[in-house]
Amino acid sequence: MNAQQLPQGLGAARYIGQRVLRKEDPRLLTGRGQFVDDISLPGMLHCAFARSAIARGNILNIDTSAARDMPGVHAVYTQADLAHFNAQMLSFFLLPPEVEMTPLASDRVCYVGEPLALVVADSRALAEDAASLIEVEYAELDPVVTLADARNGPPIHPGTSDNIAAEMGDEELDDDLAATLNGAAHLVTQKVVHQRISQAPMETRGVVASRDGNEELTLWITCQSPHMIARWVSQSLGLPQTAIRVIAKDVGGSFGLKNHPWKEEVSVILAALLFGRPLKWIEDRYEALTASNQCREAEMTLQAAFDAEGHLLASHGDYACNNGANPQGPDNNIAVHMFVWGAYKMPAYAFLTRGYYTNTNGLAAYRGPWAIESLIRETLLDRAARKIGIDPVEIRRRNLVTLKDQPSVSSMGIPREDITPAECMEKLLHHFDLAAFRKEQAAARAEGRYLGFGLATYIEPTGSAGSMPVMTGELAQIRIEPTGKVTATMSTHSQGHGTATTMAQIIADRLGVAYEDVTVFEGDSARGGFSPGAAGSRQGVIGGGAAISAADLLAAKVKTVAAHLLNASAETITIDGGTVHVTGAPEMSRSLGEIAAIAYGEPDRLPPGCESGLEVQHRYQPPPMTFTSAAHACVVEVDADTGFVKILRWISSEDCGTVINPAVVEGQISGGLAQAIGMVLLEEMPFDARGNPLSATFKDYLLPAISDIPEFEFVPANTPSQALGGMRGVGEGGAIIGPPTLVNAIADALIPFGELPEPLALPLTPTKLLSVIEGRDLAAHSAPAPVVVAAAAPATEPAPAAAAPAGEVRVDGAWDMVLKTPMGPQGMVVTFAVDGNAISGRFDSPEGSQDFIGGTLEVNRVRFDLKVEKPMKITLKYDLQFDGDSLSGKCKMGMFGSAKVSGTRKV
Amino acid sequence: MKPAPFDYVAPTSVEEACKVLAEAGGGATVIAGGQTLMPLLNLRMSQPFVLVDINKIPELSGISLTENGIRIGAATRQCDALKNPLLAAELPVLVEALRHVGHHQTRNRGTVGGSIALGEPAAEQPACAVAMGASIEIASVRGQRSVPATEFYVGPYMTILEPDELVTAITFPHWPSGHTPLFCELAQRPGDFALVGMVGALAIEGVAITRAGLGWFGMGGTPIRAYSAEAALLGQALGSIDADTIAELALSECAPFDDHHASAEYRRTVGKRLFAKTLRKALTVGEAA
Repeated sequence: MNAQQLPQGLGAARYIGQRVLRKEDPRLLTGRGQFVDDISLPGMLHCAFARSAIARGNILNIDTSAARDMPGVHAVYTQADLAHFNAQMLSFFLLPPEVEMTPLASDRVCYVGEPLALVVADSRALAEDAASLIEVEYAELDPVVTLADARNGPPIHPGTSDNIAAEMGDEELDDDLAATLNGAAHLVTQKVVHQRISQAPMETRGVVASRDGNEELTLWITCQSPHMIARWVSQSLGLPQTAIRVIAKDVGGSFGLKNHPWKEEVSVILAALLFGRPLKWIEDRYEALTASNQCREAEMTLQAAFDAEGHLLASHGDYACNNGANPQGPDNNIAVHMFVWGAYKMPAYAFLTRGYYTNTNGLAAYRGPWAIESLIRETLLDRAARKIGIDPVEIRRRNLVTLKDQPSVSSMGIPREDITPAECMEKLLHHFDLAAFRKEQAAARAEGRYLGFGLATYIEPTGSAGSMPVMTGELAQIRIEPTGKVTATMSTHSQGHGTATTMAQIIADRLGVAYEDVTVFEGDSARGGFSPGAAGSRQGVIGGGAAISAADLLAAKVKTVAAHLLNASAETITIDGGTVHVTGAPEMSRSLGEIAAIAYGEPDRLPPGCESGLEVQHRYQPPPMTFTSAAHACVVEVDADTGFVKILRWISSEDCGTVINPAVVEGQISGGLAQAIGMVLLEEMPFDARGNPLSATFKDYLLPAISDIPEFEFVPANTPSQALGGMRGVGEGGAIIGPPTLVNAIADALIPFGELPEPLALPLTPTKLLSVIEGRDLAAHSAPAPVVVAAAAPATEPAPAAAAPAGEVRVDGAWDMVLKTPMGPQGMVVTFAVDGNAISGRFDSPEGSQDFIGGTLEVNRVRFDLKVEKPMKITLKYDLQFDGDSLSGKCKMGMFGSAKVSGTRKV
Repeated sequence: MKPAPFDYVAPTSVEEACKVLAEAGGGATVIAGGQTLMPLLNLRMSQPFVLVDINKIPELSGISLTENGIRIGAATRQCDALKNPLLAAELPVLVEALRHVGHHQTRNRGTVGGSIALGEPAAEQPACAVAMGASIEIASVRGQRSVPATEFYVGPYMTILEPDELVTAITFPHWPSGHTPLFCELAQRPGDFALVGMVGALAIEGVAITRAGLGWFGMGGTPIRAYSAEAALLGQALGSIDADTIAELALSECAPFDDHHASAEYRRTVGKRLFAKTLRKALTVGEAA
């Protein structure tokens, strides 16, 4: 986007919309970045972990004596040593996990690589030597590795009745929906098996922890927001947040992995508090691939019914993800269902969604964590188009929501006001001559060359704020120094996002100063204020809005001061190029430095009541959600001799609102697309039947290299959003829309040979694609033996719905109740009052209290409705069974389906 | 990823190196370029007591013509071999193979002898030695011996090399000038180890094949010589050769395996196809010449 195309309201933009050089690059490109491993403190010691060699078992004994005796070793800690801190692991939403989890394993291990002991030594090499001397005796148990194992196998966590970590939706299809699906002219089903992958940031995890006073702690940690880390650690350790300072100047990629600390970082922090000397732990690549959290592994089946002309009628989705043993949040990925048909005219959608525990590494976020919705929908639409006999473009034209269809609300309650996937697609097709390509494709096929065209459209929620506790606004503090130079302190944080550049572009424009005169500081919890940082494509939208409003406030102050000093009216004052002008009186111009020197040093000359100095701050609260829309297309050639895929062209037509810096935006989209290409063709983190990770090095874990990535073409399709400045988030989109775009192109290329195999299992290796071309399963001889897991009976059978109570039914009184919500388990105290068959009562939770009436009691079954206002207006329908001192049941949460409820009598 | 403790010695002669290896009684590992060994040390998959650095032994580097053929010192860097004019003239197939070995950065350090001594079954250089009929020169305190490459490899990363022995050079036999090199490799990304690879050469006099050396990599536990395919080609007139039949014969010598990058059947299917395609191209070139 060039300056002429800027949306209205941004005034004379000299920098916004320009490819200005990044402020971070001279430092990063000359090796002067400051990453965690660049930190070296006096007296600092180094850490290494002893880790579990098995996926599931009980720990009988940990013998650390040989390690402790080694010269150069200062300490060896196990959970017994760390236990007295009572550190509480937390999710991104700052909620404790449902299952017991400690920084180091205490009495059992539940995945290969789980940390068992921490060695503190003079060097990392010595620490590793000592860690290898730690002897662990286990009573090994059969592991639960795959989703199939999790469904059928024994629960891996004590005290749970099954491996379901989170569950929503309804198992039984609504009659009306079933009738629509089964009676439709076309019913198309798509199943996707998404492999597990590694976030694989270039900078692995790492921390330097320094105890500076009794309760003063400084952390250098690679993360997505130092403020979020400070908040998390403060809450986890019960330390006052004022005693914690977190610094992360430069971060080499994160992608969701570093949203908050995990077991290793917490262990190092606790060890530093115990030992007193600064400690460093840098995760090595082997640990990063085998012991870090991972992402994505999921299966989904999506059914969609169409009328004879290809209009969508109804749909059902069934999703399950493999959370691993200790996920960063036990998740059933409700966002998959919220957004799967968000951009389409879909009259009815229902779903069942589950997350399972297994004996594998925990799942953490990864760029577009819900992205399977776009993969499965867009590949389903292409298959439907082929079945119905219409073009992939046509099926989208008939079903996409256009600007004319808005405002409207999706069948899942998503308000749509300014989404533009249809408009993005038309702009893309204006740039790409599809008819000419079809001719080229036909000619190529005649020569035995297989070209394919893939198209996908999507919308993405970005800039989320205000709906979840940690998703806050962003803060900008800007001051004009007495020298006239501008310093901004932002709550934003870059892991490669270039926020120090884009925020400076905005501030320079809004203040009327040179870009070179603006410096942006971030990456230190002692500066600025709270924000979750880079999480959910939010910094351009919200940080940008904060930069605009703070700069405008500051400009207004400059004008007030200048008007007073120059005896002019404020309306006649302009600031341009770092100089303050009075309209029509060029001789009265003053440099910003002169005005600033007076504002700080000569308060007597300021207007009456005017605060001295030129400093302002503003926290911008954007609309709750800002949508980004896009259409992407790519052209591939599949080699029919080898099944290899070559990407010939890739076109992005993306509506990301106001573009602050096209190079930064294109970099974000390209990076996401590179990861998409990796997911579709190369990356895979498999486990063997004993739960051992099989991609332990980059020899086996194939990341896309520069040679695997085409040059992307960018078609402008931007429309301003309703957020201040008009930006839309652009951080995750490439990783969401890239996979279906590429899969659709590969499927199109292979049409002469048939459809891609069902289920669609990523990555599409040469073996899988050649199997389609050859019409036989080239992997058939070598299918791994099915994993046999002893089908142990669940520890407790769920009570049948109409079962008579075993004990006395006493509902009256207070109960501790837990509701499994999409954001994690939520605890509350419910007090019931029984009057005959009528039930009333009161809910008490940290969020507040609420009374209810009108419930019914039927033998041991209690039903009642609770109307809540937060996080949105919704009626919760509870249906509970009481048995002695325990209760269980479901809570139907409107369009979110049902959530599990459990509880015990309060004593 | 830090190596377990080890002693380090850097001998300056083959004799001295052999002495250290003998004294270590099997506890020593030789380091040349270190492009495979360093990761193995860092992963603690290799934990030698003594690391014997042969980079300071001048006689181990260099490429020369001898009466037995072209001799490449074991510690010759891959990047140096790649731009060596003698090799380009005498053994163009090795130069072609070297272009596919790792990346610029790894070739700057990696050595020809290091790769050949290691015996990665999907690597280019061991297969080249096997196909072209090279012999591997080995020294120890017990003396010197020369072993045909075809007898050197016994399994993945397993060779007949004794713990006290050092590979000192590889000699590729003379091939007639103007012989036709054959090389084909399929890897998921440039620089990766092969999913499927074939390498070799044909000598053609008039319209008949007078000499054939053909081998596979990535198609089993060792580099594999395609003897039956060579035999079927010898003495045949160029126009009478059915490349698919020869490829089928070559495939019968292989026992490829499954891994998560490709199945054994994929390797067989594509291996045969690429072998035939490469052979056909070579025969066409030979015919045109």
